[in-house]
Amino acid sequence: MKRILVVDDDDAIRTLLQDELTDEGYEVLTATNARDALKMVENEPLDLVVLDIRMPGMDGLEALPRILGMKEGLPVILNTAYSQYKESFMSWAADAYVVKSSDLSELKAKVKELI
Amino acid sequence: MHPDLKGLTTIIMAGGKGERLYPLTRNQAKPAITFGGLYRIIDFTLSNCLNSGIRRIYVLTQYGGFSLDRHLRQAWDLMHPDLGEFIYSMPPQQIMVDRWYRGTADSIYQNLTLLEEERPRQVLILSGDHVYKMDYLEMLDFHLSRDADMTVAAVMVPRREAGSFGVLKVDQAAAVQNFLEKPPDPPGLPEAPDFSLASMGVYLFRAEVLVHEVIRDAKKKTSKHDFGADIIPQMVGRKKVFAFNFQDAEGRPRYWRDIGLLDAYFKAHLDLLGARPTFDLFDPEWPLRSLSLRLPPSKYLSRRGAPVSVADSLIACGCVLDGAAVKRSVLSPGVKVGKGARVEEAILWDRVQVGPGAVVRRAVIEDGVKVPPGFTIGVDRERDARRFPVTEEGLVVVPNNVILEE
Repeated sequence: MKRILVVDDDDAIRTLLQDELTDEGYEVLTATNARDALKMVENEPLDLVVLDIRMPGMDGLEALPRILGMKEGLPVILNTAYSQYKESFMSWAADAYVVKSSDLSELKAKVKELI
Repeated sequence: MHPDLKGLTTIIMAGGKGERLYPLTRNQAKPAITFGGLYRIIDFTLSNCLNSGIRRIYVLTQYGGFSLDRHLRQAWDLMHPDLGEFIYSMPPQQIMVDRWYRGTADSIYQNLTLLEEERPRQVLILSGDHVYKMDYLEMLDFHLSRDADMTVAAVMVPRREAGSFGVLKVDQAAAVQNFLEKPPDPPGLPEAPDFSLASMGVYLFRAEVLVHEVIRDAKKKTSKHDFGADIIPQMVGRKKVFAFNFQDAEGRPRYWRDIGLLDAYFKAHLDLLGARPTFDLFDPEWPLRSLSLRLPPSKYLSRRGAPVSVADSLIACGCVLDGAAVKRSVLSPGVKVGKGARVEEAILWDRVQVGPGAVVRRAVIEDGVKVPPGFTIGVDRERDARRFPVTEEGLVVVPNNVILEE
């Protein structure tokens, strides 16, 4: 079973993504902040990361290159409520950029494409 | 400022270890090595920047970074950051990843935050270990006129010698079709089949393309993260990559040397000598600057029976040649050569002392070395080879961590 790490500080979103992606047939791990996420990336075998950008402490754009530095080639989807980070060079290092929406079909399609 | 320069960020890569120049690089970066008596190798690239009107320069350091940092502070502290000008020396920041630079492309990837702050339109990427005079504005004009994603500066070399370079295969319009690292059978140029185009390690990028390409490269497990070996091949066929032929108005290749090997370092010094040198340091159109020293003028003393003689040489300030013979040599500041000593085809770094009656031939001697009276270097190859590194072509290198005994 493919393993996905969902990183988001918002409990509701984390739970929603965990439920929905589990229904899609993935094993889903979660982290509430970037530092915990980095530890999990280092220690857990993973097939994909869904990463929020705006989080207290280290944000998703800081964590992204560190994730890639630890696990070259691990696909990362940035999943954020804001579209303006698309302009940031750092966000270009992600495999996909999905703006959060109540409709999860885009996110699910990207996960399927990348995993 | 030329309007095209406004959106330009310049990055000089100066972090390589320069192992093939060992022992000269054992405690300093290759771009910090003394060259041409007064200069450090990086001074040529920095002078090119200034002469091209470029005033915003990042120097990426890594190995032996202090040697470069010190030189930049002492010799190049001439910009006004309040006017938007700077020369900044940058060691690896380890902000994005916990590692050193893995290659030239990785050094740009690791500095994406810097490009994010600058948000340039174009990025000029240079090396700190080349000797040449180049107006980067001409290359920028070429790059913009072709609406290129990447332009690689390249110089024509005879096809039979091109096998030691990274060679660009181009079409009639100078579009790059392939990059070949040290090819056994280098492709000739469409208009000059006996010549091949060698990459000079000078690159101009559309900034956003550069960012995408170094990110793409950073994710490749098999990549060496090198501009020549990885980025150019990755872009050819997908992006608009052009070669800028570094030639004069008559279509002859212009002077460019990669100081990669000890013998190349030596030969490039011989290019500085003579009435009409291959590479002229006395060019009013293209001033080459370095650290200016407050030393007295050099002094030549003729003695009875030991007249001083100096031929085809470059002698820096503060030297004392006392009844000595110096021929086809380059002397850095503060060198002393004693009575009856002979120095031929030698490169003497700062404050080298050659004792009376000593002979130095085809040698590079590091700063501060004292050659005892009557001592010979470059005369008996076997004897030299027991004490010093001697190259294939017979060049003797005398590092300053050895004590020479009579």
